[in-house]
Amino acid sequence: MENTSVQISCKNLWKIFGPKGSTLVGTPETELSPAELQEKTGCVVAIRDVSFDVRRGEVFVVMGLSGSGKSTLIRSLTRLVEVDSGEITLCGSDVVKADKNQLREIRRHKVSMVFQQFSLFPHRRVVDNVAYGLEIQGMKKKERYARVDELLRVVGLSGFAQSYPSELSGGMQQRVGLARALAVDPEVLLFDEAFSALDPLIRREMQDEVIRLQERLHKTVVFVSHDLDEALKLGDRIAIMRNGSFVQVGTPEEVVGSPKDEYVAAFTRDVSRAKVLTARWAMRARTSTMVAPPDSRIVSESALLQSVLPLVLESDAPVGVIDAGGTLVGILDRKDVLAAINYEPAESAISLNSTLVEGPQRTEGALQ
Amino acid sequence: MTVVTEPDRPIELNEAPTAPPERYQPSALAKLAKLGPWPGLVVIVLAALVAGVATGITAGFPAHWVTGIQNSFDSLANWITVHQTSAPFFAHFLTPLGSWLGDCVIWVSDFLNFLTWPGVIALFVASSLLVGNWRVAIFVVIAMAYFGLIGLWTVSMSTLALMSVSVMIAIVVGIPLGIAAAANRFVEQAIRPVLDLMQMLPAYAYLVPIVLLFSIGNPGGIVATVIYATPPVIRLTMLGIHSVPSETIEAGKSFGSSRMQLLRKVQLPLALRPIIVGINQVIMMALSVVVVASLIGTGGLGDPVLQALNIVDVGDAFTAGVAIVFMAMILDRIVSAAANRIGRPSRALSLEQQHRKRLQQGAILAGVVVAVIIGTILSGPGGFPPGWSISISGPVNSLLTWLQTHLYHYSSLPIIGGTSNLSAFTTLEILNPLTRIAGNLPWWIPVFGTAALGLVIGGWRRALLVAAGVMAIGYSGMWSDSAITLAQVIVALIMCVVVGIPLGIAAYWWDGVDRLLRPILDVLQTMPAFVYLIPVVLFFGVGNMAGVAASFVYALAPAVRLTNLGLRQVRRDMVEAGNAFGSTRMQLLWKVELPAARPSIILAINQTIMLVLAEVIVAGLVGGGGLGYDVVVGLERDEFGLGLAAGLAIVIMGVVFDRLTQGRFVRRLPA
Repeated sequence: MENTSVQISCKNLWKIFGPKGSTLVGTPETELSPAELQEKTGCVVAIRDVSFDVRRGEVFVVMGLSGSGKSTLIRSLTRLVEVDSGEITLCGSDVVKADKNQLREIRRHKVSMVFQQFSLFPHRRVVDNVAYGLEIQGMKKKERYARVDELLRVVGLSGFAQSYPSELSGGMQQRVGLARALAVDPEVLLFDEAFSALDPLIRREMQDEVIRLQERLHKTVVFVSHDLDEALKLGDRIAIMRNGSFVQVGTPEEVVGSPKDEYVAAFTRDVSRAKVLTARWAMRARTSTMVAPPDSRIVSESALLQSVLPLVLESDAPVGVIDAGGTLVGILDRKDVLAAINYEPAESAISLNSTLVEGPQRTEGALQ
Repeated sequence: MTVVTEPDRPIELNEAPTAPPERYQPSALAKLAKLGPWPGLVVIVLAALVAGVATGITAGFPAHWVTGIQNSFDSLANWITVHQTSAPFFAHFLTPLGSWLGDCVIWVSDFLNFLTWPGVIALFVASSLLVGNWRVAIFVVIAMAYFGLIGLWTVSMSTLALMSVSVMIAIVVGIPLGIAAAANRFVEQAIRPVLDLMQMLPAYAYLVPIVLLFSIGNPGGIVATVIYATPPVIRLTMLGIHSVPSETIEAGKSFGSSRMQLLRKVQLPLALRPIIVGINQVIMMALSVVVVASLIGTGGLGDPVLQALNIVDVGDAFTAGVAIVFMAMILDRIVSAAANRIGRPSRALSLEQQHRKRLQQGAILAGVVVAVIIGTILSGPGGFPPGWSISISGPVNSLLTWLQTHLYHYSSLPIIGGTSNLSAFTTLEILNPLTRIAGNLPWWIPVFGTAALGLVIGGWRRALLVAAGVMAIGYSGMWSDSAITLAQVIVALIMCVVVGIPLGIAAYWWDGVDRLLRPILDVLQTMPAFVYLIPVVLFFGVGNMAGVAASFVYALAPAVRLTNLGLRQVRRDMVEAGNAFGSTRMQLLWKVELPAARPSIILAINQTIMLVLAEVIVAGLVGGGGLGYDVVVGLERDEFGLGLAAGLAIVIMGVVFDRLTQGRFVRRLPA
């Protein structure tokens, strides 16, 4: 990871809610379980010693259940919530040390946020909602309206400029929220459970919209979500958060393919692994003794196991895996694929045994 | 912001049951606190016994304890009268302020004169059309024509002028204060108790000190009005700004809005509706004081009512009273229309529609100008043409006489005989005995009794406060007069509760009842306190019963409203759950709905008691006796000492009532 391309860098962030929460940072109390800490001090650790970097153009998804601290984390990036300790560098600016004016400048130009409940301004027309950031910067009305026109076209809402938010459907409202965030042309986009409040179909539509925009705009994105499918779909990297700390940070494949602990495993166990893991993940790396399979039985290393399955199951013989340059990097047979799909952590808990029972059935389903 | 309230254990994987966390040993004090108010009550009963043995069973408050506070007030009043021109505070502050306020009223009156009567009507019609609809406009025309036709145009206009100045001042002072309080916790903490006090006190209580400081006339009237009427706009501005969802504020902040930008572009526009509702309340409260302020010589619509009440000419009082009600309704309709307009979700207008709207607005404004010109040509600046006026006192009087013979005089009605009998019965058999009991109880019973009540409701500080209040009333020499007021308050309150809460439940059960009551309650709530005295005198004559009856009618509305509202706000899923178990309607009411609506019902009782007190005081004007009558006497005969002491006793009584009807009961709401 080149340092110059790091757009967001957080080091040892702490946030403790509750009476005198900030004084607890670094004390042994923070080692207590959440219930004990609450009982003893009335405090709750929302962010526990979290460090991470996000590279330019990367989509970094923070994943966790409600109450895991992810919303606090994303808010602390622009100090909508003040952290108790730690460093935050955002586009080269030190956010924690910034004074009021510097912070305002960062918020005006560098970062924008898309909110869970859309948080549109109900008293403003769509055009003035989208233009809000520009208006705050002091841009002339004519200029900002021209820019808004363009953005509404981008998000597919041309013709709704004069409407009020309450006249739009949820999906359309969030498109306004997206346009509003994009209007100031920020370097970093923050999504706080942005699509959680939408219907599943609309949600998927909005996710595709984000993917489409990201292909064009290459923003740095931090995306908070409690929906694993969404995280896997959008994220270049995913951080699994629990009780304020990152349990695991990795690519979708890493998180699903080798969950670091039971929590992550339980979290990801309903994911259709064949749709996430690639041939590269399941293959055995090439050795000198390996015989290259025939050309008819070659797959790309980035192919999802799901697409490789028919070929692998055709016969007992292995298939070859090649990289982008066409070089053979490894081989893959039936056992490798099934092992990858049926992965279980070694020390299975009782509740995980049920997964073992369910597992093969699901695989059979996939085979048919 | 996600504030975690519960430890987050989404997936229990193989987790050994953890030992329960160690509990801290409660301290001795905490153990005592767990016993509830019982130890405190024991202490209070013991103290009462000690006090009782020490002073013996005296009737009422021991006379030798009464301080010469009335005399001190008298000498203070004398000092003020003497130094009114010389002392710097008067010469450099109060006197200039007073004359400036007087000038303001004159400017507004001149402006209304300049508009001429067609112009004024056109202006109101135009406002109705701009913010409301033609129905409001038609009502405005009828109501204002009434002012002119019954010959009260000039006094109506002076009431309007007084109102305009008072309301403007209240708004100019109130909105910035509300913003400041919303922005700054310390300002809020400083303002809140002051607002509580200002809203609690009947305006009547401070008429006497205001006359002392500003002498009689318009300036004092405006000061009294502003003091009484400003709190709602401050409160609702604060509320409006606070109620902007935190997500919306956060969105604003996330784009780097400065504090001013956030206020101007997000918070104020979103708080506009509550602010206008606040202004509406200001207007209503201002009107109720402006008419009472006739007592201190402000003129306006209150004057004819007062004069007529003095000679018990109910017909004249009635016509002027109707004018006051019309004035209240005009202003209420227009401002409410404005508030509703803001509340309505706006719709996008096409360019053509916008154009047409602008044309309409232009035409309406042009209409006002034309009306002013026509008015000037026709009648010159000034009032309604006298030739047009009709006297309705004659027919009204004969109607009232008819009513009196058929309702008031004894044996005119079956069973009760007549309202005069009812009045006599209530006065002789209920109010007088109650007054005697309240006045003759040995002082320590009421003092420690309220203390005990205070302890149960709000803890030790509350207990000390209310007990000190009752003692202070005794020291001020107002013990027996307070007993008269208290008896009336108790009877009126019981009537309100007994009638109001069942009505509220009925309105909750049957939408038809709700629809029927709503307009009646609307009218009851817009009428100034003063107006209620008129019909009451007709039916119950002057005296104690008049006070009780007026208070009952005046304070009924909030009892019904808040009960209904509280029940309607009970969460639907709770009611559904209750129904799912097969509760009968009564079971549902007693076991689910009423307990859930308790805070609202207790608030209803609080508001009812405060309104009852205010009206009982005002009823001093029609011989209600007690503290209200003392204030009238103080004003009319320049007995400032008596008036001030009575005002003080009213204030204390208000505080005690208020403190005894809110606290733990109100706050504690099952989650």
